[in-house]
Amino acid sequence: MNARHLAAISRRILQGIRHDKRTMALIGIVPVAWMCVFGLAFSGDLKNIKVTLVNQDQGYSIMGKNLSISAAIVEALRDDVLKIVEMDSADQAVQEVSEGRSRGVIIFPANFTRRALAKLTNPQSTDQASIVVRTDDSNVNIASTIRKRVADSLMEAMSASGYSSPVSADASEPIYAKGARFVDAFVPGVLAFATYLVATLLTLISFVSERTTGTLERLLSTPLTPGEIVGGYGLAFGLISVIQVTILLVVAMAAFNVMIVGDVALAFLIPALLAISGQSLGILLSSAAKRELQAIQFFPLIVIPAFLLSGVFWPVEAIPAWLRPASYLIPTTYAVEALRSVMLRGWGLGKIVLHLIALVAFACFFLAAAVLHLSRGER
Amino acid sequence: MPAAVKTEKLTKRFGKILAVDEISMTVEVGEIYGLLGPNGAGKTTLVRMLCGLLLPTSGTAFVLDTRMPCPSIKARIGYMPQESALYHDLTVHENLHLFGAIYDIPDHTFKANEEELLDFIQLKDRRDELVGNLSGGMRHRLSLACAMIHRPELLFLDEPTVGIDPELRAAFWNFFSSLRQRGVTILMTTHYMDEASRCTRIGLMRQGRLISEGTPDAVMAQAGVDSIEEAFLKLAAQRGANP
Repeated sequence: MNARHLAAISRRILQGIRHDKRTMALIGIVPVAWMCVFGLAFSGDLKNIKVTLVNQDQGYSIMGKNLSISAAIVEALRDDVLKIVEMDSADQAVQEVSEGRSRGVIIFPANFTRRALAKLTNPQSTDQASIVVRTDDSNVNIASTIRKRVADSLMEAMSASGYSSPVSADASEPIYAKGARFVDAFVPGVLAFATYLVATLLTLISFVSERTTGTLERLLSTPLTPGEIVGGYGLAFGLISVIQVTILLVVAMAAFNVMIVGDVALAFLIPALLAISGQSLGILLSSAAKRELQAIQFFPLIVIPAFLLSGVFWPVEAIPAWLRPASYLIPTTYAVEALRSVMLRGWGLGKIVLHLIALVAFACFFLAAAVLHLSRGER
Repeated sequence: MPAAVKTEKLTKRFGKILAVDEISMTVEVGEIYGLLGPNGAGKTTLVRMLCGLLLPTSGTAFVLDTRMPCPSIKARIGYMPQESALYHDLTVHENLHLFGAIYDIPDHTFKANEEELLDFIQLKDRRDELVGNLSGGMRHRLSLACAMIHRPELLFLDEPTVGIDPELRAAFWNFFSSLRQRGVTILMTTHYMDEASRCTRIGLMRQGRLISEGTPDAVMAQAGVDSIEEAFLKLAAQRGANP
């Protein structure tokens, strides 16, 4: 392994990228754009969901005062999550949902408060006060948000009225990442995903072009060894990942004030290891593609599993148990978990050592396979 | 003096296809040896084996007195593939510099070599131009320069004059002659029969076999004709009749 040879190959990749503005944009701007799109548009919180409310509850007169539990619940329901439109007729309200003008109906029946009080004063009573919630479940996210808001408001209103539940859960003191927003958890995912994707896809394309234009053959006719070629590519994409992480972290902190409680150096090391795996994988895949167009057909093969299975967006726990082992065959899974642990939990090297070992193992395996593959050539 | 290239029953088989069939040949130091033959005759496969890019199925090849494949010999040979094989996203200088670094040429030597080669290939004013913006002929010239940046003792040129204009072809041949005078050995493939007469020796290839070898005059005399083209057709027909 000759350092000058490694540097020559890395320099040629970086020079090529410097001369190509589109590739520069892919490396620098696209990941930032993703982060902004997801960070801004997909904060994870739904807002202004249109629901129709029908309150037929007459309340309950007690000592000359009219007490209405439904009114207290409706009060608690009013915030920026639900956009409530009140109606008198339940049929008319349901019609609103059927026509697609509203996402759900919340109906308080006529004797709601009376039944509730009866049950509160006499727990053996068969009376049951029940709110009717009928949602349009064609969008599960929205429907479950409506149901959750109703349940939360119910608890809130009851405790405000002095009828607090005998049991409660206090979740006000999280162990890690207090006050984390969706974007805080998403940035580590983008770091891993973007560096992996860029390293794999750019290597794949540029290596297919090395094969088709004959430059690979020319390189192999020189004193350069296959190890130096693969190593040079690895060095270049390791460096590119460092540049990407720098850009992403600066934008993440400036635009989204993203939470980073751990060691920033680890936030650079993890994507760099991942990029080395990615570029070696790109070299291996390039052997199966005869032209650039065929290489493009590999994109879904690389992008979709990395995006869906490695916890970039959804936690790995959201993946069905039978499919979960597949997540652990993808290096991005380890990188995303490790980056999240560093940035949000503040874990140090000692606690993510297993993840790093997995990433190094992936990198070594793919590097060795790529070198072996190049050494064998067409022989 | 040992031969620059010597092969003994060198054979390469790709599955059922016999690309090179028991070729035994010798190229002496300082020769311009031309491998002639139609497309698919096995010329490129033979050259790729001599450059260490392919392993022979059987037989042996010695390059600069070293049995191939041998990694250490690669620094002493230059290879110009059929395609221009350049990085289109790099400039002329960056391409040359890349190969300079790969061949471990010290900076000051590289500068001198680059200057001289750019002069010869007439791309001095295009030094900082991206290769992607050059014409086909210019790329061809640069490709030759990249194969020579380290001043190799032995040059393998795979169809170096295909697709270039007659003026440039003449310039290439003058350059090859001047290299020969410096003691550089050239083994080139071509299917231009008229170029053969400028080689010191030629080998006619057909269907993976060397059907005739010698100086251009000797090959013509063997066939009893007075042009290389006729000689090739006649010898190929004889081979076809008595395989």
